[in-house]
Amino acid sequence: MTRRDLIQKWLTYGLGLLPVWLADAYILPRYPLWGVTPMLLPLAAAAVAVLEGAYAGTGFGLAVGLLWELAYPGGFGGLVFFLALAGMVMGAVSQYALSQSFPGCLICAAGVLGLLGLLRVARGLLINAAPLHQLLQVAVPEFLWSLAWTPLVWLLFRAIYNRVGGTRLA
Amino acid sequence: MKDFFRQNGILLLVIALLLSILIGIISYVMGGTADPLTNLVNTVSSPVRGGIAAAADWVEGAYNYVFRYNELEEELNTLRSRVGELEEQVRQGEEASRENEQLRDLLEFQSRRRELTTAPAKVTARSTSNWESTLTLSKGSAHDVQAGDCVITQTGALVGVVSEVGLNWSTVSTVINTDTEIGGIVTRTYSAGVLEGDFALMNEGKLKLNYLPEGAQLVSGDEVLTSGRGDMFPSGLLVGRVEGVFTDPSGQTRYAVVEPSVTLDELIEVFVIQDFEIVE
Repeated sequence: MTRRDLIQKWLTYGLGLLPVWLADAYILPRYPLWGVTPMLLPLAAAAVAVLEGAYAGTGFGLAVGLLWELAYPGGFGGLVFFLALAGMVMGAVSQYALSQSFPGCLICAAGVLGLLGLLRVARGLLINAAPLHQLLQVAVPEFLWSLAWTPLVWLLFRAIYNRVGGTRLA
Repeated sequence: MKDFFRQNGILLLVIALLLSILIGIISYVMGGTADPLTNLVNTVSSPVRGGIAAAADWVEGAYNYVFRYNELEEELNTLRSRVGELEEQVRQGEEASRENEQLRDLLEFQSRRRELTTAPAKVTARSTSNWESTLTLSKGSAHDVQAGDCVITQTGALVGVVSEVGLNWSTVSTVINTDTEIGGIVTRTYSAGVLEGDFALMNEGKLKLNYLPEGAQLVSGDEVLTSGRGDMFPSGLLVGRVEGVFTDPSGQTRYAVVEPSVTLDELIEVFVIQDFEIVE
């Protein structure tokens, strides 16, 4: 693939990320379901990692993490490395252990969302924010409601992959 | 995975780690001011955020007009009768104020006054996380908004405190957020305490009034205002009403659960208090 093809491919993925980000940051928080807002950005990282593999998954995870840290309030930097690492692991797992399909994406999304939830619960316990059961009352619905959006995000990135993904532009 | 190592995937991870550390250090050092990159991203995305908020507000307005017309009409009638009652109270209050002023003049007391310099701002985004309660406003350092400024509604109810400021945007940590810590006072009993956010209560849209004095006899419905202790925040801002009084698990102290007067989900326009002068 030429440099131009690569730029076109990743610009298209970037454009795909745009509606996901806008929905995640500005639209869905206005309409929480039973007080819970879903997280769509980790799903985007999971979908691209499953479709494109470990290397591209790392790069896209890094970009998504950077967007998350810079465009959302209260960032402390950790998500850039977390999502880059998660992108690498999800890409590798989908290549070797799972398939590059929707079930594979669902498992990876569940993994990254679950890990994020666990980290937040652990942080809550560490700073004594609330007892475990109260932290879980937020983490579990957030995990489930976010996971429910996986098909939509998968369909979007799958459509992009079908047009420009892999080495299709070569 | 071979591709990952062949294409310098490790280098990407190292870059990600360095970026994480860099963002962490910068946001720690900058405190209430947004770091340059966050500022840039949020400044550039500000028109998009404003546009989406305006469109969503319009759609919600249209939906309410079409599907909740009767409810709105009923609310209008209730508000009309409430305005009548309040106008009568204002008339009585004006008379009392005049009398109070005359008595103060007679006794040569300094008159109480309260001057707030405010700037209006639109709410362009709401909490994106289930773990905190924040709002994003359409005004920032270009409009003299600073971290620590109080934010109120048009009726003077406290919304929260500005926690991060960018060029044309700012983030407000709402009264129910877990980092809230403001002096509060119950108007009926003059019982002072500390208004604090609580994780469990935040998800119910409420907060705590902690460290109540022993023997404070609070009842449900008591009005809670900011006390202004420490001169960080203006006194007399309406926070909410007491919902109930409880003893903490240790049995040592009592606290009140306060229901804020402001409906955070329905806020469209707020006012940032940029300066205040209160003479008690």
